[in-house]
Amino acid sequence: MAVRIEQTVARAVSSATDVGDAYTRALEAIGTDLEWNLAAAWEPNADGETLGCASLWSRDDDADEFAAVTRTTTFAPGEGLPGAVWESDQAVWVADAATDPRLPRQEAARAAGLHSAVGFPVRSERGVVGVIEGFADRKLEPDQELLNTLEVVGAQLGQLIERRRAEETGVAVERRHRATLEAAIDCVITMDHNGDVLEFNPAAETTFGYTSEEAVGREMATLIVPEELRDRHRRGLRRYLDNDEPVLLDRRIEIEAVRRDGSRFPVELTITRIDVPGAAVFTGHLRDITDRLEAERELRESRTRLVEAADEARRRIERDLHDGAQQQLISVAMTLEAASRQIEESPSEARALLDEAAAELRQATVELRELARGIHPAVLTEGGLDPALRGLASRSKVATTIAAVPERRFPMPVEAAAYFVVAEGLTNVARHADGASSAEVEVAEADGSLVVEVSDDGTGGATLDGSGLRGLSDRVAALGGELEVTSPAGGGTRLRAVIPCGS
Amino acid sequence: MTRRILIVDDHAGFRRSASRSLAAAGWDVVGEAGDGAAALEAAERIEPDVVLLDVGLPGVSGIEVARELNERLPDVAVVMISTQDPGDYGELALASGARGFLSKLDLSSQALEALVES
Repeated sequence: MAVRIEQTVARAVSSATDVGDAYTRALEAIGTDLEWNLAAAWEPNADGETLGCASLWSRDDDADEFAAVTRTTTFAPGEGLPGAVWESDQAVWVADAATDPRLPRQEAARAAGLHSAVGFPVRSERGVVGVIEGFADRKLEPDQELLNTLEVVGAQLGQLIERRRAEETGVAVERRHRATLEAAIDCVITMDHNGDVLEFNPAAETTFGYTSEEAVGREMATLIVPEELRDRHRRGLRRYLDNDEPVLLDRRIEIEAVRRDGSRFPVELTITRIDVPGAAVFTGHLRDITDRLEAERELRESRTRLVEAADEARRRIERDLHDGAQQQLISVAMTLEAASRQIEESPSEARALLDEAAAELRQATVELRELARGIHPAVLTEGGLDPALRGLASRSKVATTIAAVPERRFPMPVEAAAYFVVAEGLTNVARHADGASSAEVEVAEADGSLVVEVSDDGTGGATLDGSGLRGLSDRVAALGGELEVTSPAGGGTRLRAVIPCGS
Repeated sequence: MTRRILIVDDHAGFRRSASRSLAAAGWDVVGEAGDGAAALEAAERIEPDVVLLDVGLPGVSGIEVARELNERLPDVAVVMISTQDPGDYGELALASGARGFLSKLDLSSQALEALVES
């Protein structure tokens, strides 16, 4: 009997489409052979602490109620028939399930007319991986030979099921691996111990200009490594394989790579050895970093320009103070001294000198005011953009209207950048825009940014090249914003800055 | 009629000369203050007719002091002053409840009188 059941189970499992189906077919095979009315397979739930019904077979619909209860019940170790088998790792015989108080499904069994029951472990190398139970509508005497047979069947079934599961897992892993490669933004190139390409993903195809079919089987060095570096690459691979010397492994390096058309570009590269049995296999992740290096270079240059602009501004302030206010104050001091000398002898002369000194001081004050405003306008700190921009407009040499300015305050760097965009814009309108008779300033908040526009009705043709606008562009870029000039010939000029508000 | 005036500026030199020239023109200079908090305290204590108030005070700004004074002592005429020109501060001063704004270069008894009368 043992051989017959084993063969039946083996046939059933081998024709199954998946593990769930294998259980169902095994239950049907055993149940039919032993003339059971109902059989169920149990497996540990995800929590690992209880058993749940993985599959159920019944001969007819007489035991539908019992089947429903079985499907929704879980058993802890030692609990019910499945739990007793799970805990003891042995086949268990129940003489009459309808009266056995140990069984939680006793009442359902009675209602379904089920009596004798047997349970046995499904075993694999990992130990007990499941439990099979069967119920009959007869009262049978305990049968030790049958229990022995069922334990053998359980061991066989466990192996078969584990093998099916391993196959399914293998296919799933391979599919996941494939999907990861296909979707990767980085180039992924796998290479064997000879340095020949095993895998070449779509990103690598796009980046290097070879199809996967063309690349696979060819030496990676001749495909993508610059000629002068190839021998070093080959020697490094050899050295690693001979002495286990980790040359470039698991480190992020920046080197040059070559495309099919011979053009070179910088890449970031990490090589890892894949843990597989047999000859060494390596996988390389490469990323084209042309854009990143370009952005870094632009950032460095922009920082340098900002520092240079700040230095230049300080030099200008020093010159203005020295040539302007300082000279004027010296002159005032001399005038006052002259007045002092004259005061006894010629009071009217002294008075004239005092008036002259007062006038000179007023002039010095006006110049200092302009100078201070150029460094940082106090009104911007005190009152925000609205009064500061209205002040700029009122002093502009071209008639300027303020279309709109948000009333609320913004972080100081944002307000300062917006202010200097308008100041530079209006200065340029007055200085360059031939024929401009009016200008308009508009500041609005949109999508978390401050949008600043200065437009005029001049002849157009302006560009971002002037050093004033260059510095302004750097200032705006430092805040993550952008500055642009639209100036079609004959169509007026519009200076537009978009500055993230940061709040 | 002699008007009682409080002079608020963080530069002692400016307070001294403004005090001297306004007193010479017939004003009754009843107090001086060097920052916003002292200005509010002095104004509530003295209740002057006019407060001459610098915009750029340390700590509580002149704009804030003007708003406070306007709320607490609405009868006091506040005139804001600064080295900056009226283009920058004129509207802001009015919006803060002051009678008006004068550049320090244009400060005179007559100009002050004209704003207080307005």
